Amino acid sequence: MIDYLWLVFRVLVFPGFTFLLFLTMFCDWIERKIEARMQNRMGPSFTGPSGILQPLADFIKLLTKEEITPNDSRKYIFRFAPLFAFSVLVFALCFLPIDGTSVIPDASFGGDLIFVMALISVANFLLFLSGWSSSNPYSSIGAARVLTQFLGYDIPLFLLALAPAFLAGSLTIATIVDSQWIPFVVLAPWAFVLFIITMQAELEKDPFDIPHAESEVVAGHETEYSGGKLAFLKFARDVQIVFGSSLITVLFLGGANGPVFFGLQALWGTLWFVLKVVVIIIISEYMTVLFARLRIDQIVKANWKFMLPLSVLSLLLTIGLAVWVYPMV
Amino acid sequence: MTNITTWARVKSPWVLHFNSGACNGCDIEVVALLTPKYDVERFGVKLEPSPRHADVLLTTGCVTEQCAERLKRIYEQMPQPKFVVAIGACACAGGVFAGNYSVVGGVDKVIPVNAYIPGCPPRPEAIIDGVVKLLNSLQQPAANKEEVKTDGKQ
Amino acid sequence: MANNDINILKVLEAKNFQIQPGKLGTVAIQAGGGKHRDALKALLEVDEKTAVTAITGIDLGDNIGVYYHVRTSNAFATIQCEVPKDKPTLATITDLVPGAAFHELEVTDLLGVVFVGHPSPGRFVLPDTWPEGVYPLRKDFKPSEIKFNPPSTEDVSLSDDRGLVKIVIGPHHPALLEPEKFAVLVDGETVKNVEPRIGYVHRGVEKAAESKTYLQGVYLVERICGICNSCHATAFVEAVEKILKTEVPPRAKYIRTIILELNRLHSHLLTLGHAGLEIGYETLFQYFWRDREPIMDLTEMVTGNRVISSSLTVGGVRRDIKETDIPKIKATLAALRKKIPFYKQMYENEPSLKMRMQKVGTLSREDALKLCVVGPVARGSGVDIDVRKDEPYEAYGEIPFKEIVYTAGDTWARMNVRMDEVEESINIIEYALDHLPGGAYRVKVPRVVPPGEAVNRVEAPRGELFYYVKSNGTAFPERVKVRTPTFANIPAFLKTAIGENIADVPPNFVSLDPCFSCTDR
Repeated sequence: MIDYLWLVFRVLVFPGFTFLLFLTMFCDWIERKIEARMQNRMGPSFTGPSGILQPLADFIKLLTKEEITPNDSRKYIFRFAPLFAFSVLVFALCFLPIDGTSVIPDASFGGDLIFVMALISVANFLLFLSGWSSSNPYSSIGAARVLTQFLGYDIPLFLLALAPAFLAGSLTIATIVDSQWIPFVVLAPWAFVLFIITMQAELEKDPFDIPHAESEVVAGHETEYSGGKLAFLKFARDVQIVFGSSLITVLFLGGANGPVFFGLQALWGTLWFVLKVVVIIIISEYMTVLFARLRIDQIVKANWKFMLPLSVLSLLLTIGLAVWVYPMV
Repeated sequence: MTNITTWARVKSPWVLHFNSGACNGCDIEVVALLTPKYDVERFGVKLEPSPRHADVLLTTGCVTEQCAERLKRIYEQMPQPKFVVAIGACACAGGVFAGNYSVVGGVDKVIPVNAYIPGCPPRPEAIIDGVVKLLNSLQQPAANKEEVKTDGKQ
Repeated sequence: MANNDINILKVLEAKNFQIQPGKLGTVAIQAGGGKHRDALKALLEVDEKTAVTAITGIDLGDNIGVYYHVRTSNAFATIQCEVPKDKPTLATITDLVPGAAFHELEVTDLLGVVFVGHPSPGRFVLPDTWPEGVYPLRKDFKPSEIKFNPPSTEDVSLSDDRGLVKIVIGPHHPALLEPEKFAVLVDGETVKNVEPRIGYVHRGVEKAAESKTYLQGVYLVERICGICNSCHATAFVEAVEKILKTEVPPRAKYIRTIILELNRLHSHLLTLGHAGLEIGYETLFQYFWRDREPIMDLTEMVTGNRVISSSLTVGGVRRDIKETDIPKIKATLAALRKKIPFYKQMYENEPSLKMRMQKVGTLSREDALKLCVVGPVARGSGVDIDVRKDEPYEAYGEIPFKEIVYTAGDTWARMNVRMDEVEESINIIEYALDHLPGGAYRVKVPRVVPPGEAVNRVEAPRGELFYYVKSNGTAFPERVKVRTPTFANIPAFLKTAIGENIADVPPNFVSLDPCFSCTDR
């Protein structure tokens, strides 16, 4: 009985759904605040202390607004795509060891890294469907751009994710984390840098935020959405960003590993994990603020000409090191 | 529950800016609101590109014949609850252009308006003040209704 | 540099045109009966920089006057024709000067003059619901009697018969701050054609000006455009002063120059930042607008208002600059000057910005001349026209400054012209403050203006701004014609957008610094 209650608690409260919800909102606030400070502004300031409740206010407000479904839209897909995208991403997050173990205890299985990576593609595809189903020219273009971008950048992302797998000699996330007594960022910094850049493209952030180019496609695939559906669509994007940062944390920064001074190991693990995620989010937001948006053809070209060859090289280099050099050291 | 809803609405007004034939004077002041000196994101205000996402419609301009239809459609595209703010003398009553052959004159001739901010153009501080007053009126629905009633009797 | 060797008077005399030197610019040419094309050809032959600045239509009672205002590299000519009101037709000049297409459409819309042979006739500035056969600028037009047609309910088709997809940008679109519609036909992501529909901001200012006194007129024309309001006011009051033959005191001239340059500063900083927004570079936008705020404060200090200054009046300015304010103005400008190297380096070297701006919207020098573009757009394509240099007004003749010319002709070149002009503007203001003459800042002028007509040109931030004012001996003008810089520059966008990526449309477009409240009036 206790086991079941513990499971429910882990899934719904900590480190599951509720915790992830608030973590996402916290990260969203950090993002907005950093962007504002970088641009000489204050950012949200009066919603809770330092505006920390701003994402919550936005979320609640959107939930209480009228929902409009356009007549020409493909109604079922239009309604459910945002919700599915959101839940797929939260589900993917559940496989990451946030407090040392994955959210569902012992859910870790051999090759779950590949499974989790596949889930991102599914989520991206659902976002594409959300735009495609709203039958608005801007949404369609935005959706097509989502598709073009993630189809291209999935390949280098995957190749780069294999670098830590080779270093750890396993495709299981838990094993990868456990074998990082030296974080892999030290052992394979080139893979880390390339992975962050590719993740930036995968998460559609500047300079790769083509699907969200306001001056070209209005609000992209979100254009026709309103009310609760928009709340989940926007939230799905925030969860995606947290997920991307968590994945980098797990693969390169040693996940929840860190010194435990006193008390529960799980709490310290969570603290280290969140701190690392925040660091990654700060780096990624820094890039967002510093660059202009590129054009779709420039991005596609950059992928096939630079990212793909570089990621193959990085993989070969890492394999070489993992097989011949590091075992000797 | 209503308290939380009202709190969320007051703290997160997403605005849409529509120029219905203004001289750009008001529009550059509306854009100036987003920039470091005035930075309305402090109050949770975000400029949204799509009418479907917006709560408050900031309208500038004297409403030309050609724009009137479009203004109405944009208003209809916004989800409830929605508010309209008329910014500038032109949006309030047509301003210097009232009576011209291709001018309707005043946003309230086309769609209902919740707040008027006069001035040619109003200062950014005045626009912030107007929007904040509009939002504060949400927090005291009872008092607000009373006011409307007495006005109606007179 | 202006080619001073060409004397258009001699050229015209040699070809036996009926000319009146000194009227409406350098020379007025009477060219009835289809001779307007010959006069234009004669000017085009001798000077490559010959361009049509504006076409004014005017109701003369039984006839409609059509005045072609033509600028050459060192002169300004007006070709005058008249057509009977009951059969107002005239041969088009678009085959000689492609840039005149918009001007002819406007005259057709507002006065009903039909230009035979125009490539794309149709509704231009008036609303879609406007009744046929009613022309607002004719004197017998009564605003109260218009009956608008019901709005059409047919759906806009989203594809072309050639199977191209039509993307409608506007009237409400985040890339446009103003309502205007551009239907972009795309094949995949490549633009095949752009169909403009302007007129969303048409407020009938030219008609309204006829029912306002000259003093009220200043107030009205300032509200044509909130960004370059002082330029409109200057152009209008100078034209009136030309008719009145009033000499403005030198102090007023210097103060006007300072106000005009403050206007240019804030307008250029606005555009330089706005371009950042269009290419998704929000930080650039925020930085530029941060540094624009002190200029707004200066405008407020000098004129009393942040945006629309309402500081100019016929005969001078309304407010003097206080001696105590001069150090404050200089300090603010010095602070801005310190930041310029950073921004310049940003525009010149930042890789992601260059990737989005270089080789985008390239306008060759030949096309720039043919399309009669003005201002930074022309100067970015290597055409050195600047009214401040070519025909100095106010204090510009006494102030040394550089004319900025880039030759690349792309978006990047146009933005860099503006970037360099910011620095020049600071120089001009500082020079004007150092050499501010004493004395009166305003002279008294009569309310009633004697009959006469005048043309006037001013270099607004976006380019050459043209005014034609005709008075009839009362307190109200007979006709006020405004030709704004964006009106002349839009053809450049329509031409350069074709064949480009759809993502290049916003940066290309914003590089014109479009202002539709100017364009439509």
